[in-house]
Amino acid sequence: MSLSTEADTVLTNDATDQDIATITRRTSVYVYEAPVRLWHWINALAIIVLIVTGYLIGSPPPSMQIAEATHQFVFGYIRFAHFAAGMIMTVGFFGRIYWAFVGNHHSKQMFLLPFWKATWWTEVWHEIKWYAFLENTPKKYVGHNPLAQIAMFFFMTIGMTFMIVTGFALYAEGIGQGSWQDAIFGPLRDWIGNSQVLHQIHHLGMWFILIFMMIHIYAAIREDIMSRQSMVSTMISGTRTFKDDKVD
Amino acid sequence: MSQIETFYDVMRRQGITRRSFMKYCSLTAAALGLGPSFVPKIAHAMETKPRTPVIWINGLECTCCSESFIRGAHPLAKDVVLSMISLDYSHVLMAAAGEAAEAALEEAIEKYKGNYILAVEGNPPLNEDGMFCINAGKPFVEQLRHVAKDAKAIISWGACASYGCVQAAKPNPTQATPVHKVIKDKPIIKVPGCPPIAEVMTGVITYMLTFDRLPELDRQGRPAMFYGQRIHDKCYRRPHFDAGQFVEHWDDENARKGYCLYKVGCKGPTTYNACSTVRWNEGTSFPIQSGHGCIGCSEDGFWDQGSFYNRVTDLTQFGVEANADQVGMAAAGVVGGGIALHAAVSALKSAQKKSQDHVSENEEA
Amino acid sequence: MVIQTPNGFTLDNSGKRVVVDPVTRIEGHMRCEVNVDENNTITNAVSTGTMWRGLEVILKGRDPRDAWAFTERICGVCTGTHALTSVRAVEDALGIEIPDNANSIRNIMQLNLQIHDHIVHFYHLHALDWVNPINALRADPKATSELQQAVSPAHPLSSPGYFRDIQNRLKAFVESGQLGIFKNGYWDNPAYLLPPEADLMATTHYLEALDLQKDIAKIHTIFGGKNPHPNWLVGGVPCPINVHSTGAVGAINMERLNLVSSIIDKCIEFNKNVYLPDVIAIGGFYKNWLYGGGLSSQACLAYGDIPEHSNDFSPEQLYLPRGAITNGDLSVVHDVDVRDPEQIQEFVDHSWYDYGEPGKGLHPWDGVTDAKFELGANMKGTRTNIEQIDEAAKYSWIKAPRWRGHAMEVGPLARYVVGYASGHDEITDQVNGLLRTMDLPVDALFSTLGRTAARALESEYCGRLQKYFFDKLVANIKAGDESTANVAKWEPSTWPTSTKGVGMTEAPRGALGHWVHISEGRIENYQCVVPTTWNGSPRDSQGNIGAFEAALMNTKMERPEEPVEILRTLHSFDPCLACSTH
Ligand code: HEM
Ligand code: HEM
Ligand code: NFV
Ligand code: SF4
Ligand code: SF4
Ligand code: F3S
Ligand SMILES: [Mg+2]
Repeated sequence: MSLSTEADTVLTNDATDQDIATITRRTSVYVYEAPVRLWHWINALAIIVLIVTGYLIGSPPPSMQIAEATHQFVFGYIRFAHFAAGMIMTVGFFGRIYWAFVGNHHSKQMFLLPFWKATWWTEVWHEIKWYAFLENTPKKYVGHNPLAQIAMFFFMTIGMTFMIVTGFALYAEGIGQGSWQDAIFGPLRDWIGNSQVLHQIHHLGMWFILIFMMIHIYAAIREDIMSRQSMVSTMISGTRTFKDDKVD
Repeated sequence: MSQIETFYDVMRRQGITRRSFMKYCSLTAAALGLGPSFVPKIAHAMETKPRTPVIWINGLECTCCSESFIRGAHPLAKDVVLSMISLDYSHVLMAAAGEAAEAALEEAIEKYKGNYILAVEGNPPLNEDGMFCINAGKPFVEQLRHVAKDAKAIISWGACASYGCVQAAKPNPTQATPVHKVIKDKPIIKVPGCPPIAEVMTGVITYMLTFDRLPELDRQGRPAMFYGQRIHDKCYRRPHFDAGQFVEHWDDENARKGYCLYKVGCKGPTTYNACSTVRWNEGTSFPIQSGHGCIGCSEDGFWDQGSFYNRVTDLTQFGVEANADQVGMAAAGVVGGGIALHAAVSALKSAQKKSQDHVSENEEA
Repeated sequence: MVIQTPNGFTLDNSGKRVVVDPVTRIEGHMRCEVNVDENNTITNAVSTGTMWRGLEVILKGRDPRDAWAFTERICGVCTGTHALTSVRAVEDALGIEIPDNANSIRNIMQLNLQIHDHIVHFYHLHALDWVNPINALRADPKATSELQQAVSPAHPLSSPGYFRDIQNRLKAFVESGQLGIFKNGYWDNPAYLLPPEADLMATTHYLEALDLQKDIAKIHTIFGGKNPHPNWLVGGVPCPINVHSTGAVGAINMERLNLVSSIIDKCIEFNKNVYLPDVIAIGGFYKNWLYGGGLSSQACLAYGDIPEHSNDFSPEQLYLPRGAITNGDLSVVHDVDVRDPEQIQEFVDHSWYDYGEPGKGLHPWDGVTDAKFELGANMKGTRTNIEQIDEAAKYSWIKAPRWRGHAMEVGPLARYVVGYASGHDEITDQVNGLLRTMDLPVDALFSTLGRTAARALESEYCGRLQKYFFDKLVANIKAGDESTANVAKWEPSTWPTSTKGVGMTEAPRGALGHWVHISEGRIENYQCVVPTTWNGSPRDSQGNIGAFEAALMNTKMERPEEPVEILRTLHSFDPCLACSTH
């Protein structure tokens, strides 16, 4: 098997010449900078809280009698946890967007699909075949593999935006007319027409996110085992290490 | 409108004393949630402003808006009709019928051009050339357009006029259409509810008479003073909601203690109306106080949100007879199954590969 | 052209055609056309329901537990009766038995509706056909006071000063030139016969009744949360009872019961001191105006209502009677079985619906509601500007229900005729008492005024029944039973895959039935046959005319261009058009 020396003929999605040089030396690449990793785990935690509390908001736990009603704040706390996690997720998301501007170029992947790049599509196709067991050897990627990138974009970038917008539109109802939340998100509610619909689509969004989580975690662990690079540890240490020194 | 007497003139001529007139003004102030300092202002307004002609027309509806209106306690319906407004056309109450009724309508339009309030109960159907609702041999929608043309403002009474209500529920066989989708060049005040609360109806009218302007409207065109908050925001059962104390099923121990009705489908959290504060029938009660959840009757499309008894309701707006949890769980189940299968095949493949590698390694050796 | 109808009327549409559209002081939209001969006597009558909303179509595929809310919106005037009929139909289909307290509360609400609706009908929808408020200005308040004290000594509001104040208010109103709802009334028509004092007394009671009705309705508010359109529940009533323990604020407690009881007393007082005396007094002046009998002496139908015990709808357990009378034979009261496909059928040959074949009648369980608007060849005007309807073709949004082929009258008078014929004690006593007081023969019942009088008697009877069921409710609570709902079959998983049910009530305007077919937890078919569907029905395939049309026949009009007489007779049925077509 021959090693190619021309970077532009190598297909590894967003890898730079430098990255390729590194891969060929079978070393590791620093991919996820600290803010990205911090965000990832905080975000993951917030979303887990949001899913658990969100589900309970739709289907509350059995009634209990602990204290006098105004002092027993069980459902209040569930909702509080939801809103707090929602705020954290929102602030984090804005922070992550900021980092896409100032961070390394991997940090932009989640927000932009390079669908104008023919090579990217080739890799998408390759990745589909790999997951469909039609391809025996996986490819190497420094950042996300293109399929993961698509998932990130649709489930996270779009999905989280959807949850934030609908979540705040719901939150605005409680804060009330005249609040900034209402000024920004209220028109959405009025456009939808009935807040019950807003609740239902926000609720449906939860399942959308949950399904992403399932696929995401499965894929991360699977790739960790079956691909040619590190996965889970990458999101902890930030560096991607490769298991062989082939280029793509 | 200078030829029209003022409200105060009329009251005085009808033998009402200055004292009871002032009392009426303070009741009005209270009904509008205004402090005593507003009483002289209201009195002044009443003394100087003319009685306002009101034309009340009916489309596809059930007349519960009229019925609600006559339940008014402050002011009393008789005082509204005799002393506050001039109800120049109303199918439900007017003595005349047929040609004489239609003549009264034409006279009122002619005489008060640009100065009358048009109150619409119900809505026009547009299918069958509008002939699902016929008035004087013609489609109701024609009457609506005709009377709206010279109106000063329009009040859309109830869910029917505001949003379409029950006849507009799927599949809306008559194409019942709310007023604002037919009349686009007039100020329209939506007073939704099925029906609206009587005192909210008269409150809106007295506000217009008193302050000589339209009430402040929210983005959906409803008076902010009555529709600015949700039932849930001011519900007296809210402490039980926050405590997580719910009626689990009808007539259980929790129901008898007056716990929150959220789990049996209460739509208070998604409904803008004044029921939990103004309450119904002179403050006697309101749906939640009497043990049934709010069904959201003042909300657009409340008929098509799935069962009134579900908290997580069917996604009917997407034509699905299942709720988010059912759809989501099914999808998650499929994905989960897919993952399990995929994981199994992956394991198999890699085992295969390993043994192949092993074989080839052996061969090499 | 002269036509003989199978139900005994001679229709002649050759004379002058008089059109009344809109018919006002009713619920909904209605048109009426009559022909009058040279003596201004009505020789042909056509009544048209001019609205349709499609509730039966809209209900398909819905959760049957929600149906009460949809059907309740059929009408805001008889608010609640459709809801009750609906929960009964669904309970019948699913085999749900309701607790005793729920039965008492439902009865109280239903009786309360009867009283409310009857009072509002008489004073606010009907009175102006007999009472001339303009003429009241000429009354002597002192003489009015004397009249009031003579007809009803117990009514406290009867001083000359009281009537003078009202008269002054009325005078000022009229003199302002803004006549409002009284504008263009037929105040010069010689059909108005009351002396000014009676006009003033009745106009005063118009206002008193307007104040009172808002209080009467509060019973619905207490048990159902609001009126119009209180809340109901499949399996019982939504309001829990808690009279002994903590947390009773939201439940039916002692304070709530006291409020109910005080309103019941108010109803009884008003019926006794105002409503009945007014009907007798006003009726006395119109004793010779005996038009409008129509079908009432021929064919009457009642399903019965107000069960003594929960879940027992057998006729002997009902306070309002069940039965059918046909061919004018009062000696036989037929059993009515609403499940029998041979008994109740709806026809659409003259209605704007399509069954696919002519002459077909369908029992409501197999009912079809398929709208089809088309006008007959002999109509005058255009499709969207009808000047004259062609009654030989389809001409109404109302279907034509028939009982064993007969057009039937339903309503308070029908109930009282069935009750009288079947020897119902209360009803017989009331009717005989009234006839004696007014010195009238039994035949006088079969008239426009008889209909109006039966309604007043019924209001009085319902007031007493309301008290009876209130006492029964309290006694049951005292005995330790606070239950109000049966939730054993609340979950659709407990239901059979396919089942049918029927619910009946006696609505204020007459016999009301809902037929439901539930399949896999959803409504497969839902059909309502409503009092005004019976009374306002157009002709059927055999040419039988309905109760409105029959009652208008042979009435003499003073001035055909001023349709007071038509209004009187139509109003005596308390037409509800939103109900009739739904
Ligand atoms: C991944 C993100 C999120 C998930 C999975 C999620 C999930 C849910 C779910 C399932 C519900 C229950 C809806 C119902 O059935 O009525 C809910 C309600 C709600 N969520 Fe979220 N949510 C998310 C993000 C947010 C955000 C960012 C906010 C903004 C503050 C937010 C605010 C709310 C509010 C206000 C409610 C309504 C609470 C109530 O009615 O008491 N959510 N959420
Ligand atoms: C709620 C749960 C989670 C969410 C919403 C989530 C979301 C994300 C997102 C948005 C990224 C892209 C990061 C970026 O490009 O900035 C990412 C990457 C990653 N996540 Fe998660 N994550 C979750 C849980 C986890 C868990 C539990 C693991 C470990 C088992 C994990 C492992 C990874 C890995 C390895 C990557 C890097 C993927 C790659 O290199 O292409 N995630 N995750
Ligand atoms: N017809 C009729 Fe109704 C009644 N009573 C109901 O079933 O009025 Ni609206
Ligand atoms: S809004 Fe509701 S209450 Fe009012 S007329 Fe329409 S159906 Fe009746
Ligand atoms: S009863 Fe309804 S409105 Fe009241 S607190 Fe509970 S959910 Fe909110
Ligand atoms: S059902 Fe309607 S009456 Fe009020 S409490 Fe809900 S908005
Ligand atoms: Mg029907």
